[in-house]
Amino acid sequence: MRTLIKNILLIIIIALNSFTVFAKDNLVTDLSESTVEISSTFSGADILLFGAYDGQKNDDIIVVVSGQKGNIKVDKKEKKFGIWMITESIKFSNVPKYYYIASNRKIEEITNKSEIKKRKLDFNNFELKNNKIDYKNIDKKWYEALKRNMKKKQFWKIEENSIKLNKNTLFRKTLSLPSNVSTGMYNVKILHYRKGNLISQEESKIKIDKTGISANIYNVAQNFSAIYGIIAVIVALFFGWFTNFIFRRI
Amino acid sequence: MNIYLPIAEQPINAFIVLGIGWLVGIIMGMVGIGGGFLLTPLMIFFGIPSPVAVASVANQLVAPSVSGVLSHWKSGNVDFKMGTILLVGGVIGSSIGVLIFNILNAIGQLDLVIKLSYVIFLAIIGSLMFIESFKLIIQTKRGKATRGKLHQHNWLHGLPLKTRFRKSKLYISIILPLIIGVIVGILAALMGIGGGFIIVPAMIYLLGMPTSLVIGTSLFQIIFVAANTTILQASQNQTVDIVLALILLIGSVIGVQIGSKFSNLMKGEHLRLFLSFIILLVGFKLILDLVTIPLDIFSISVIQ
Repeated sequence: MRTLIKNILLIIIIALNSFTVFAKDNLVTDLSESTVEISSTFSGADILLFGAYDGQKNDDIIVVVSGQKGNIKVDKKEKKFGIWMITESIKFSNVPKYYYIASNRKIEEITNKSEIKKRKLDFNNFELKNNKIDYKNIDKKWYEALKRNMKKKQFWKIEENSIKLNKNTLFRKTLSLPSNVSTGMYNVKILHYRKGNLISQEESKIKIDKTGISANIYNVAQNFSAIYGIIAVIVALFFGWFTNFIFRRI
Repeated sequence: MNIYLPIAEQPINAFIVLGIGWLVGIIMGMVGIGGGFLLTPLMIFFGIPSPVAVASVANQLVAPSVSGVLSHWKSGNVDFKMGTILLVGGVIGSSIGVLIFNILNAIGQLDLVIKLSYVIFLAIIGSLMFIESFKLIIQTKRGKATRGKLHQHNWLHGLPLKTRFRKSKLYISIILPLIIGVIVGILAALMGIGGGFIIVPAMIYLLGMPTSLVIGTSLFQIIFVAANTTILQASQNQTVDIVLALILLIGSVIGVQIGSKFSNLMKGEHLRLFLSFIILLVGFKLILDLVTIPLDIFSISVIQ
């Protein structure tokens, strides 16, 4: 059923595209879902991004998905008294908590260095701040550690050669969000390159939100934390009494 | 089946957690001691952040304690007066414990301190239990019977504020039970444990309470200590994961009931010997994680 809907949407897009072939905007894209709900059985999500573009031979498509920005603490451990303990920490702020780059071939081959820097097509050009000194002057190993760990947790990810282009008009890409993805508005940017120059771009948003019991629990815990604690105790009291009640009868 | 934990913010296999709670519950029921000191490290091994593990295990602790007190109450084995004094100490202690918890969290050493406290405690309890049960097994094989220690009068009985505890047939100062309560409260807040392995011997050997009253009375005070810890942790640190606590407590309360029904199937000392191995093993795994070189000496965490 979902595949059917996707296919119908694709056909509509192609049709729309053929009507707007003379329009200024020659890139049309859509997402299979614009909201992702983290429910109590959430284990990651796959979103299909598909689009049509007015392409020529050797045109390129790059997709960048970026999440909310936030603070990330990097801890460094050292061996003291035989035990590995945290001895130094640096707090980075303005860090994208999710950043995903996909393209049809190596980004270095698609465009030049200044364009990569301008459009943030790698992980080295974020405008980060840290609580020690300016990020530019900080010992590089701290930023490398941040990058390495963000990649390991799949929060930052790059997949070159992963977008399949079809007859210079269609492309599709499955965006896989990990189960521990953070909530917020995600920005999906689709860039269309020709001979290293950006000729058109499109932007979409994905809203990632907690829903259901899981979201309610989280909200109560954050906003009415004392009441939450009391409820937690009452629930435990009830179950303690209840099992005693049941097992007395057996 | 994966369930998303709203506070730990990660999915976890509900059946595995239920099973762990159940198994630990069975051991609790058979041996007659709390399982917090096994549940918390096991949850940490499962990737639950240690502050969330500690607070949620303290939350689940309320349930088996209530269930236990109700059974002991029926048989008249709870000294409520002694329990009340212990719990006053316990509530003070758990409040101090949460305060220490917050300070450690602020300086970024909470995780290390929780793990280190566990290593120390598991090593002590595990080896004591091992030696004790091993001795008993040897002695029963040789056919010798040993007498338990009788309580003796010492300086502790010279403290002021003496009160009569009719149920326990004691006339002692309330200072000692208060201090015991405070220590157990601190441990409950920092480690998510009921502290039965401290309070039970302390009540028998230091206070001189009749053994039959000890378990019921200590469980009675633990209800309040665990409840106070849960409310303080929830309101100050938002670390109580009610879903995790619920899965654990459903497993453990059922386990406790089954365990206590079958406690006469296996000899107590053999069971304790077996349990001491598990405790030492868990402690060994914790210390191993602390002394081996981490895969990456840098780690990251999302902060507010």
